[in-house]
Amino acid sequence: MANEAEKSPGILLFGAVLLVLVGTMGTIVLPYFDESVVTPTKSAELKNYPTDSAEARGRHVYIREGCNYCHTQAVRPVRADSKLGPVSVPGDYYYDKPTLIMTQRTGPDLTWVGTRYSADWQHEHLLNPQKIGGPASIMPKYDYLSQQDRDDLVAYMLSLKPAPKD
Amino acid sequence: MAQSAATTHVPARDPYASATVKMLIYTSVFWLLLSMVLGLIVALKSINPDFLTGNRFLQTYLSYGRLRPVHVNTAVIGWMTSAFFGAMTYGVPALCKTKLWSEKLGMFTAVYWMLNYLFGAMAIAAGYQTGVEYAEMPLLFDIGVVICVASLWTNLFMTVKNRKERVLYVSLWYWLGSVTFLAIVYIVGNIPAGWMGPGMAQANYYYYYMHNIIGLWLTPVGVGLLYYLMPKLVDRPIYSHKLSLIGFWTIAAFYVWNGPHHLINGPIPLWLMKAGIIPSLLLLIPVWSVLANVIGTMKGVWYKVSENVSLKFLMTGALFYGLACIQGPFQALMGPHAILHYTYWTVGHAHMPLFGGFSLVLFSGIYYMFPRLTGRHLYSRAMMNWHYWLSVLGFVIFGFAMWTAGVIQGFEWMDGKQLGASFLQVMESLHVFLIGRAVGGSLMFLGQIFFAWNLIKSARSGKPIEQTEDPMLLAR
Repeated sequence: MANEAEKSPGILLFGAVLLVLVGTMGTIVLPYFDESVVTPTKSAELKNYPTDSAEARGRHVYIREGCNYCHTQAVRPVRADSKLGPVSVPGDYYYDKPTLIMTQRTGPDLTWVGTRYSADWQHEHLLNPQKIGGPASIMPKYDYLSQQDRDDLVAYMLSLKPAPKD
Repeated sequence: MAQSAATTHVPARDPYASATVKMLIYTSVFWLLLSMVLGLIVALKSINPDFLTGNRFLQTYLSYGRLRPVHVNTAVIGWMTSAFFGAMTYGVPALCKTKLWSEKLGMFTAVYWMLNYLFGAMAIAAGYQTGVEYAEMPLLFDIGVVICVASLWTNLFMTVKNRKERVLYVSLWYWLGSVTFLAIVYIVGNIPAGWMGPGMAQANYYYYYMHNIIGLWLTPVGVGLLYYLMPKLVDRPIYSHKLSLIGFWTIAAFYVWNGPHHLINGPIPLWLMKAGIIPSLLLLIPVWSVLANVIGTMKGVWYKVSENVSLKFLMTGALFYGLACIQGPFQALMGPHAILHYTYWTVGHAHMPLFGGFSLVLFSGIYYMFPRLTGRHLYSRAMMNWHYWLSVLGFVIFGFAMWTAGVIQGFEWMDGKQLGASFLQVMESLHVFLIGRAVGGSLMFLGQIFFAWNLIKSARSGKPIEQTEDPMLLAR
């Protein structure tokens, strides 16, 4: 049967909040003390776009149109990702606000898409993905974007590449 | 409240029936239908990307990338959260044998909550989304959410403080805990990007939010509702009070650590992955405590499931919750994660606790509360059964289509089909499963139409409950 402490909602909530805060500290605060998280890599520097550059505006278009719901931006050290280029490390995302790793790879991963296609290809593909990619593609046509938005978006995509090795 | 009951056509029977509860339940059903429509549109767009792109307006505002987050938010914040708010506003006073502390504050919460989400959803569709999954609403609406949660918390806490029944039934633990957790999780998860330093440190906030809006809000509030409804529907006490408390404390202790399991094999330090994986496995403890309690309580009275549609929903919801929580720890292992992550498997998994699990628990709760709120019997038992079977079969088709597609995707990717033409070749083979998803989703949607129609008919022309009837129906 219930004991005395069980009749007090204050004590109960205090204990529960304490437990939750321990986990919050562990998973959110502790990573700030990890070198790999707080040190930007050279690839991260490439993504440190000046305010109002074409790339920064393009990144905004990318988020606004929800590109991130179908395209991931993380290469994992697993067999499935072995053809996608260098494995992503925490420091690569140093300047990303917010990070666009996301959870769904309905379309191909875009971590290093800048190494794969030219600006012309990207423009053509945005206008008509089925024509360029093939009829099985389920990507929507982005022909409704303004010329400016499309230029910015392509500039952003071309900037997604690993830093050259020294 | 007497005055709200007086507006219905039957004499007040339930001294606690509250306008706030009705408001929250009615709006939640609207959001439920909307989220279903949106879900169906995005499912059809995955089959044919040119669906609903007739003109520039449709292309812009109904694009996949904008509708998908609106669908998710409408389901989680619009439908489930409103409905759970309603269930708590009903259940907390009932368990405390007192009135809701402030009906005015309750009504304020309900109306503000509805308007806040309405405009928040419009902001996402208009292109103001933040880019953080599940937390897409701009800051202005996040503040609105926090205000509503704080006012609901105050209302419920004060109701509990002024209670006439000294012992806190376990549902009250779960409910008070869940609203408190919701406030913490929502605030932490919606701090704007850019205030939090390096990218991967931010990502921990997002995945903390994404996991815990399910784990620390929908799970404890839903389990609380399960513990509230089950004894009432089978007319016997829960099997073990202690077991339900073990569940509560282990949820509070372990769930919160689960954020990093979304980034297993990803760009986070190895120690952080481990800090996410181990608690994910420990989650088997709270889920088993719930299921053991369900099985213990139901022992000898399982036959009642065939007599009571509400109980049928509740038990099926508990079953899917259990299955989702077996799937979860499995996916959190590094091996399976390497294959299943980023695939359609995730879509199936995400719908299992949210639709199969806690939406079914909510349907049970709404069917339970509705006659007690309106003073009228439910209009049609047959429609309840249609609702049940279409929801369950629809979800099973949906789920298996997604899980199968995910496994295919995972193994094809391991063969190196990650880019260009070979990626498209995989997509082609998934087409049939995407159609399967839309078929399952259509059945789910059809089920919800029966649900909404039945509620409307019940409120308008359900048979009035007579004072002399079964006291169980009238008691809370």
